[in-house]
Amino acid sequence: MHSVMDSRPFFEDYSVKPMQRQFSPYADNGGSIIAISGNDFVVIGADTRLSSGYSIYTRDQNKLFKLSDTTVLGCSGCWCDTLSLTRILNARMQMYEQEHNKKMSTPACAQMLSTMLYYKRFFPYYISNILVGLDSEGKGCVYSYDPIGHTERSSYRAGGSAGALLQPLLDNQVGMKNMQNVQNEPLTIERAVGILKDTFISAAERDIYTGDSIKINVITKDGIKEDTFELRKD
Amino acid sequence: MTSILCPEIPNAGFSFENCKRNTLLQSKGLSLPKATKTGTTIVGIQIKDGIVLGADTRATEDTTVADKNCEKIHYIAPNIYCCGAGTAADTEMSTQMISSQLALHSLYTNRQVRVCTANMMLKQYLFRYQGYIGAALILGGVDSTGPHLYQIYPHGSTDKLPFTTMGSGSLAAMAVFESRWKPDMEETEGIQLVRDAIAAGIFNDLGSGSNVDICVIRKSGVDYKRTYEEANKKGTRQNSYRYPRGATAVLSTKIQNIEIETTVQHIEPMDTA
Amino acid sequence: MDSDWMNAPHSTGTSIMAAEFNGGVVIGADTRTTTGAYIANRVTDKLTKVTDHIYCCRSGSAADTQAIADIVSYHLGFHGMELGEEPLVETSAAVFQELCYNYRDSLMAGILVAGWDKRKGGQIYSIPIGGMCVRQNVSIGGSGSSYVYGYVDANYKPGMSKEACVDFVTKTLALAMSRDGSSGGCIRIGVITKDGIERKVILGSAVPKFYED
Repeated sequence: MHSVMDSRPFFEDYSVKPMQRQFSPYADNGGSIIAISGNDFVVIGADTRLSSGYSIYTRDQNKLFKLSDTTVLGCSGCWCDTLSLTRILNARMQMYEQEHNKKMSTPACAQMLSTMLYYKRFFPYYISNILVGLDSEGKGCVYSYDPIGHTERSSYRAGGSAGALLQPLLDNQVGMKNMQNVQNEPLTIERAVGILKDTFISAAERDIYTGDSIKINVITKDGIKEDTFELRKD
Repeated sequence: MTSILCPEIPNAGFSFENCKRNTLLQSKGLSLPKATKTGTTIVGIQIKDGIVLGADTRATEDTTVADKNCEKIHYIAPNIYCCGAGTAADTEMSTQMISSQLALHSLYTNRQVRVCTANMMLKQYLFRYQGYIGAALILGGVDSTGPHLYQIYPHGSTDKLPFTTMGSGSLAAMAVFESRWKPDMEETEGIQLVRDAIAAGIFNDLGSGSNVDICVIRKSGVDYKRTYEEANKKGTRQNSYRYPRGATAVLSTKIQNIEIETTVQHIEPMDTA
Repeated sequence: MDSDWMNAPHSTGTSIMAAEFNGGVVIGADTRTTTGAYIANRVTDKLTKVTDHIYCCRSGSAADTQAIADIVSYHLGFHGMELGEEPLVETSAAVFQELCYNYRDSLMAGILVAGWDKRKGGQIYSIPIGGMCVRQNVSIGGSGSSYVYGYVDANYKPGMSKEACVDFVTKTLALAMSRDGSSGGCIRIGVITKDGIERKVILGSAVPKFYED
């Protein structure tokens, strides 16, 4: 009866047509990660908020995964993909140890992660990964990834929902970019952790998916030290 | 009579002159600028002989916080205020316009304006624009007939209610009201309930945040408590981020002297004898 | 990211009803207003006054039906003053139909106009989506009505007493509300006779139940 030009508002309650709903295999659960390396250490921090849309699932979710005594992976993005990936990653770490009778080095682990991500090139893990650890010389190293396996080693990195917001801050404060007449003193653990905390304070101010608290891992040759720090909760 | 200094006074109402151009550009793949939508928690309740309105103060642009301390409780008339959620510009402009019309109406009739009048004007205005003016409002006030509270949707439907919430945090806030609201509450109790409802929105809804604003309207007058509570304190920084002198690159230098002409003028003291 | 209840239009997914009895009409409605899956108002008044003796039951878009009811009540108020007496229910229905028909492409409104006048007594006019107008002895509307056509056909008797008619309307609405997800809350009843309207509310806890506990 109604003409094609029907411009009436659509009401579900009165609809007679079948409706199609779209299922999406991905979710964006937010979260941010920051990693800063020094000569003989590396620090990595991730916020503990897990959210979706406008709601918070939990305020206390650890997003840092200890892969070995010298390697830690930080994951943010689709949480279900993070769970799958880290499960397989842990299994591969164990298999390597039993086959080669030694622990996997951080650079080797970084390469393995890259191939594991690229294996899913056409149905990727929707995760922003940052892998940190100590290399064979005991120096701190940071590897960052895109969802399909591109990887890059750098000395500091911000990733996740507030990554784009925080990277310029790290460029300036850690990389000493865009400054003149400043000495690049070697970074101490205290300063690295200080910058990391301050950076997260700023992220929590402007990114709605970053907040509640952060988990920090400090990796040195003596092992991994854990720390937490409170953020705003709105 | 147009000139560069005095452009022609525009016609009343909206200008649609770029609509055709914009649809063309959009069809060629240009994405149009997005309006600031405020993910919000706004609430209002009726108390004994009065109204308490509440709002958070966060304005968002997608997932980033655009304003950490914005004002969402708008003035309508001396005895009427209005909380706004939705498109920031729409809530701001529609409340301003109705406010000015009501001010004239009040002068014309020589009476205090009634809340139902404000409600009628807002709903007819919003209905005219068929939901394209994205203003979701909570209108509250006290007039000669007592306290009144209205909920107004962008399409122009209104409801008169004893307690109401709107915005993305409305579910969190409504949970507080549904469990604790009761008729004829005292002012302190009412303010506490509104604070808790807004706090529920601030903490549990990511679109809402920062501080709590509260506005109490009674027959005797209005008590607008801007930043009634700072629900979230910003963390204290560990390091100093002051740049040392000389850190900024100087690309080129040019000094130009400014000539200033001075003349000294003596003024005779006034004869006060 | 915005959930449906933030952007969906405000709708009265509804159960509404009107029935003639000897001496007037009984009108009734549930009190639920939904935006998507969220109940925006659980104590809505869908029985809207047009004149002292004429009311309408609204279903469809809340914005549309409120606007229509406001316009009609303005016209009839004016008409009543010119006439010097109460407008007829038939006139009221005609004004409703005029708007609903002329703006049928942009409106979403299903309205029952019910009232009493001294010419024809209690009357009910149904104006569904599209702008038709038909007089009925008993009429139901809204999304919940589809569940209770059989019940109404089986149980409506012309010339009922007021009490029997109120009971019939209450039970019909209770059945509709229990089956329709977008209807619910309380039941509002209005009895319109030559003396005007007599209104009451049946709270959610007092809504009649049938075979279930």
